[in-house]
Amino acid sequence: MLVNLPGPWSPFLGRLALSEIPYTNPILAPLFVVIVLAGIALVAGITYYGKWGYLWKEWFTTVDHKKLGIMYIILGLIMLFRGFIDGLMMRTQQTLAVGSGHNGMPVMGAIHGYLAPFHFGQIYSAHGLIMILLAATPLLVGLMNIIVPLQIGARDMAYPYLNALGLWITAAAVFLIMISLFVGDFSHNGWFGYAPIFELAYSPGVGVDYWIWTLELVALGTTLGSINFLATVVKMRAPGVTWTRLPVFTWTAVSANIIALTSFPCLQVALALVGADRYLGTHFFTAGFGGNLMLYTNLFWLWGHPEVYFVILPAFGMISEVIPTFSEKPIFGYITMVLASFAIAGVSWIVWLHHFFTMGMGPYVSTEFSVATMLVGIPTGVKVFNWTFTMYRGRLTFSSAMIWSIGALFLLLIGGLTGMMLSIPAINYMVHNSVFVVAHFHMMLLCIVYAVFSAIIFWFPKVFGFKLNEAWGKIMFWLFSAGTFLVFFPMFMLGFMGETRRLDWPFNLQWAPWFDVQEVGIAVYVLSVLAFLWLIYVSIRDRAENRVGADAWGTSRSLEWITDSPVPFYNFAMVPHVNHRDEAAWRRENGFSDKRPEKFVDIHMPNNTPVAIIIGALTFVVGFGLTWRIWWLTVLALVVTVLVMIYRSGKGDPGYIISAEEMAKMDRESRQKMDDGHAHLPKGGGYTGGTVTAYSAGAGDSGSSGTPPGNSRPLS
Amino acid sequence: MSHGHSNPLQHPEVQMASRSSYLAGFVIASLLMLAATILVSGQVLAPFALLLTIMGCAGLAAIAQMYFLLHIDISEHNIWNTVALVMFIPLFVITIGLTWWMFSQLYMRTMPMIPGMPGMH
Repeated sequence: MLVNLPGPWSPFLGRLALSEIPYTNPILAPLFVVIVLAGIALVAGITYYGKWGYLWKEWFTTVDHKKLGIMYIILGLIMLFRGFIDGLMMRTQQTLAVGSGHNGMPVMGAIHGYLAPFHFGQIYSAHGLIMILLAATPLLVGLMNIIVPLQIGARDMAYPYLNALGLWITAAAVFLIMISLFVGDFSHNGWFGYAPIFELAYSPGVGVDYWIWTLELVALGTTLGSINFLATVVKMRAPGVTWTRLPVFTWTAVSANIIALTSFPCLQVALALVGADRYLGTHFFTAGFGGNLMLYTNLFWLWGHPEVYFVILPAFGMISEVIPTFSEKPIFGYITMVLASFAIAGVSWIVWLHHFFTMGMGPYVSTEFSVATMLVGIPTGVKVFNWTFTMYRGRLTFSSAMIWSIGALFLLLIGGLTGMMLSIPAINYMVHNSVFVVAHFHMMLLCIVYAVFSAIIFWFPKVFGFKLNEAWGKIMFWLFSAGTFLVFFPMFMLGFMGETRRLDWPFNLQWAPWFDVQEVGIAVYVLSVLAFLWLIYVSIRDRAENRVGADAWGTSRSLEWITDSPVPFYNFAMVPHVNHRDEAAWRRENGFSDKRPEKFVDIHMPNNTPVAIIIGALTFVVGFGLTWRIWWLTVLALVVTVLVMIYRSGKGDPGYIISAEEMAKMDRESRQKMDDGHAHLPKGGGYTGGTVTAYSAGAGDSGSSGTPPGNSRPLS
Repeated sequence: MSHGHSNPLQHPEVQMASRSSYLAGFVIASLLMLAATILVSGQVLAPFALLLTIMGCAGLAAIAQMYFLLHIDISEHNIWNTVALVMFIPLFVITIGLTWWMFSQLYMRTMPMIPGMPGMH
């Protein structure tokens, strides 16, 4: 039933052989040595300081949504760096290779530049896949993980264990793509894959298999996460958090996760069919035997377009939290903001054909998808106007988080307008597959990156208890923006001049000056990376001076700012009773900021579990075994996975109880640790509207969600 | 953590679990897929009739799995399952319908009927 492989195969090692390890490659071999040395140093350091127990207990087995979120963000930042290095290598290759004639480095086996086409293909494929699915997605999922439960007043996600499982399966995907650097090759057919080049006949190596199983793992992890987010927001809201009191960020998380839940299965099916073609010899996407190449492209973008809105919507939510805080005004047009998020999510389902307008299905189909694509501009425009109206006549503070958010608006504008151009089929036929398209979607994805940096600066004090350094945050912003300008504006120009994407050898000498400008831009980006590392170092060094209270910015608005900074593991000592959409701002304006719970009740917390990390490791083994066709290993890992799941299901996990007295003690300690960050803040004039419930009464955890409290009077 | 019910075994979703319905769903779906495989590999029917038959099998298998495994029906006590079902219908129409339209237009333009050549159009 299995296909005949081109090349050797052994029952024990599958396709794996010593010759698959590129120890002669002058880039990879030194890199491997460096990574191994760094790994040994890390392990030795942890062992020397005796931190293994701490890491295992506090991080590897944790089910705390904040710690999982931090690990997601660290994973995302590492992969952002890896993807950036890929980008740097591509830019350098094009700068060196431009022009006619032989200008390559023979030592690398390249005729043009320093990379052979096969190697260049792997780099751009890895760059795309990493940046979208292993950098942007973990960063956004991590931020949603930390903030969504806090914004709705929950103690944890609905399924804490499932949350950990999602993280460790995503980590398995990261390990799989990283190991493809040193064992075998990665795919060279672009991040989205082309039929039929990914068929076994045209890509006989293991690169495409790495690509399939990396994507399958990350799709699995993200689907599990989206189920968890939806259940959390539907079921776990604190008393008083009605649907119209959800912060905009939580709303965008809901809309984004509806997209994720409904679209990721398409990707999994599409890749399973590619896998069937490569492993079982079916012909779904071949040109002969009844297959159709375009069916793959269709299925992929059926997921792919909703996916790009899955990553942009939480970014919009972050901007919607940062701008009101630093404008000292509520968000303008809350209802339209929420409706716009859902309009974008809904339209995301009917636009996917614009990724292959040139397929040749004629004017009627193209018109429908062109009009649908233009429709996206309406809710997005609503959002942009709402943000500007929020700032209009506001009391603006240009803190570093705020300027990152404003920067995101400019990128959104450029990306959106070029997107409108691309939605016109006539223009699309001209610039299709040119770097104009690449520059367009980099504007959109960089809008996400700007929003993510804004959000990291904004919520950092909530999670760690101290602010990041403002000056270095701004220096990094200007360096990053200069890099963005220098790399991507020339890219728009080159697109108009006819440069196609994925060009390992740009033959036209007239493009050379623009490549040089881009290379300068990449150098500035490198400086911004250094500025980021320095920002982290300086902030940790000076943390004592930058400690904050519960309301870190003094003008914060949503519910997460009423609990302590750093957030204790139980989130809220007593589940808060929410009286207003902008609860923190409402309490501040009415003089309730210092109100603490008067009594405590027993609370129930989930236990740590090592099962999630074990299953994550096993899924990595499954992916590795499938890639190299080591069948015994794959089957063994799958069987063990099922056994571990059955073991956990049978064991049950009752969690543990923290008694009321213990809660009172912990709450007191947590408050003492916190600096009184808002001593300088103006206090509100007091509330005259009757009694106010600040914390839920009695066994607060079981409070039903969705019922507004009787005494609450929203400020209006 | 939400504790509307102290015992998770009393949650309505857990109460709906039943071994016989899981088995029934699994067996029915497997049989339908087996039937489709036999029909295709044996080429028992004319191409278009075969296409319709295996589409019917896939539809029945999907319904069996939804009903027996996921307990998705239109009863009132199970409101979130019903919401999921209602959400599914427009998505199904959009994805399958637009794909169908797209490819029929594509085939009309790029794959003219050649007499004697078997095909799906």
